[in-house]
Amino acid sequence: MKSVAIVLAALCALAAGEASAFKPTRTVEVVVHTGPGGGSDLLARAVATMIEKEHLLPVRMQVVNKTGGGGAVAAAYLAEKAGDPNTIGFFTGVWLTNPLVTEKAKVTLRDLTPIARLVLEPALIAVKADSPYRTLADFIAAAKQKPGELKQSGGSITSRDNVVRQLLQQATGARWAFISFPGGGERLAALLGGHVQMMVIEPEEAGEHIRAGNLRVLAQINDTRLARFPEVPTLKEAGFDVPNVPQVRGVVAPPKIPAENVAYWEDVFRRLTRTASWKKFLQDNQFEDGYQNAADLAKFYDEFSARMRGILKEAGIKTVR
Amino acid sequence: MDVLQGLLHGFAIALQPGNLLFCFVGVLLGTIVGVMPGLGPPATIAMLLPLTFLMQPATAMIMLAGIYYGAKYGGSTTSILLNVPGESASVVTCLDGYQMARKGRAGAALGIAAIASFVAGTVGVIGLMLIAPPLARLALAFSSPEYFGLMALGLAMVVLLAGRSLVKALLAMLVGLWLAGVGTDLFTSVSRFTFGQLELLSGIDFVVVAIGVFAIGEVLANIEAAEEGRILPVPKGLRNLLPTLRDLRDCRFAFLNGSVVGFLVGVLPGAGSTIASFVSYGIEKAVSRRREQFGTGVVEGVAAPEGANNAETGGALVPLLTLGIPGSGTTAILLAALVLWGFKPGPLFLSDNPSLFWSLVASMYIGNVMLLVLNLPLVPLFAQVLRAPAYVLYPVIVGVSIVGVYSVSTSLFDVALLAGFGLLGYVMRKLDFPTAPLILGLVLGGAMERALRQSLMMSGGHLSILVTRPIAAAMLCLALLVLAVPLFARLNTWRLQAMEEEK
Repeated sequence: MKSVAIVLAALCALAAGEASAFKPTRTVEVVVHTGPGGGSDLLARAVATMIEKEHLLPVRMQVVNKTGGGGAVAAAYLAEKAGDPNTIGFFTGVWLTNPLVTEKAKVTLRDLTPIARLVLEPALIAVKADSPYRTLADFIAAAKQKPGELKQSGGSITSRDNVVRQLLQQATGARWAFISFPGGGERLAALLGGHVQMMVIEPEEAGEHIRAGNLRVLAQINDTRLARFPEVPTLKEAGFDVPNVPQVRGVVAPPKIPAENVAYWEDVFRRLTRTASWKKFLQDNQFEDGYQNAADLAKFYDEFSARMRGILKEAGIKTVR
Repeated sequence: MDVLQGLLHGFAIALQPGNLLFCFVGVLLGTIVGVMPGLGPPATIAMLLPLTFLMQPATAMIMLAGIYYGAKYGGSTTSILLNVPGESASVVTCLDGYQMARKGRAGAALGIAAIASFVAGTVGVIGLMLIAPPLARLALAFSSPEYFGLMALGLAMVVLLAGRSLVKALLAMLVGLWLAGVGTDLFTSVSRFTFGQLELLSGIDFVVVAIGVFAIGEVLANIEAAEEGRILPVPKGLRNLLPTLRDLRDCRFAFLNGSVVGFLVGVLPGAGSTIASFVSYGIEKAVSRRREQFGTGVVEGVAAPEGANNAETGGALVPLLTLGIPGSGTTAILLAALVLWGFKPGPLFLSDNPSLFWSLVASMYIGNVMLLVLNLPLVPLFAQVLRAPAYVLYPVIVGVSIVGVYSVSTSLFDVALLAGFGLLGYVMRKLDFPTAPLILGLVLGGAMERALRQSLMMSGGHLSILVTRPIAAAMLCLALLVLAVPLFARLNTWRLQAMEEEK
């Protein structure tokens, strides 16, 4: 019985080996659009460490930071590497949203080769603990009463934070201001200092401030309640029927790489998402498993871009694509 | 845990042989990274992060923090010797540091930079140890309007950095502010002044401009006058290579100024070490009895900004450790490291992990001593660099500059920009325009624009928000006062002249 299993395993390995005769030959360059310490940078470094630990690649991975232009610089860099089998990149939803409003972002995610979607990041809507708003409905009612006076801190206007605001504003008719801060730390500092009244925050970032009694969570931006926030309603449960906007992250490769290379990378990341380290990573960061293979990811692009275009247009932001 | 008990506990951990070793590794790496222009602490720490999974968290934190503050020591070296600022915080150090080197006092400048770094670095750690939690809460009172006031104060300091002509200084500053506007706008994602160049979407990196204008510009200007084989005099004898007692006496106030300003500015998550160095230089010049000699190679002009730059490290760790809020690229990656090691940075971090905090504090005292011991003997060695003849030194400066710029972005476009800004620096020298205001405008421009626009978004478009909030109003008043100082000085000269004539 045991020997049959071994033979089967060997056959499987052989089949897998044949399916992708390609193997990277030198250190793999992993392109991200944030500086060291940014979201994509951290994910890429964590993935590189896990891939090394699980021996999924014969070579090492090196993170390369190509910052700026809301992902445009990194995307263009990947496009320049057309046909290069030893380069991959980590994208986020911003790579899809930003080209919709930036004419100069000539390379879009569609010009690159899709490999895999990896995670969906849920988020929380939080206020300061001493805030008078106990529910999201309280906040919306207050915003209606004094249009434009309440403030939310967040990233750029194409970021998920603002998209959530636009959706809520459209659904309720309330109006409040959105103030952009480039760094996550500044957003939180503005909320804790009482300079803004609300922010969309990642569960891990909020966790300790909730425990210390600094923040209160009004709602969660996720389809189902997060395990660590069982008492907080989702947007729908809170009475706001707006589409769920997760932050999405995944992997792409340069354009014009052979099909066998695509298959190879797809396989590496599929195997990664099945390891115990990956499951622990998702759990530790309170991410949702967002795995999709290359074909599904390409479909997701269209669906996501179309939805974002609609949201941005309704918000009065000029789209160029 | 009270302070003394905590500190003793911290030293007990930090003095374990393994921790001592990695503290040394950290500060040594930091010094090397600091000396090399281009490669900065965030990139270095990010590269070393995977290695730290094999270590105890305390050991790893001690090493990474060592890289952070160690780099601050090294940053001044190329500024003083070659007029190549390795990071934005050592731009001001070039002003008097390089002039001291030209006068044959490179050793004294390097020495005083190391001593000021030691004094202020230690004061920064004391501040972190004693008043971190209350100070962090105070820092939260700062938001966009207050940051705008602080940046305005920084820009007002341009007056004090100016050479003979205030108009030329202001013009240079405006060009710097314009350069800061190049790239993608954060608020609207609109690209500005990019002329269809993809490389410009991320803006113009300060490193490119600073190295071009300072180093390449200086080389071009010097080639003309370099008939003599050696450019800079280097005195013989070890004693002449170190700061004198008189230098130390002259720097008494600078040490204090740099320490306090650096630490306080460091605590603010939105400010950073560049503004700390400029503000402390400005204060030093404003209160100095030999104000007019600043920019010609006075020792306080090196001590104050270098001190501030180092005290900033202790300050920047305050919001990181007490609130989990990073204020800079380096503290952001330190935050990431804490998360990866399984900690939960945030308001409860200190009370949950007192022994990590205290061992870090203790290690920073030890690390600062190590850095002083490491850096002082290097001073005479570095100063020898200047003995090289011009035909060796100048190509080396150009080479170091190009490598530094290329290593940050790996983009040849940036190398071309470097050449362009080198020419600009040369022309500015020829026409007697000061170059520091240009850099200051570039460094502060982006943050200042953001702060102003954020303030206006908060107030619904009313400028009054800048004067109705007390801290912001106070900063702006101070800025006005700084602008008025030379005016009063001039009035006073006229008055004295008039009195002379009456006699």
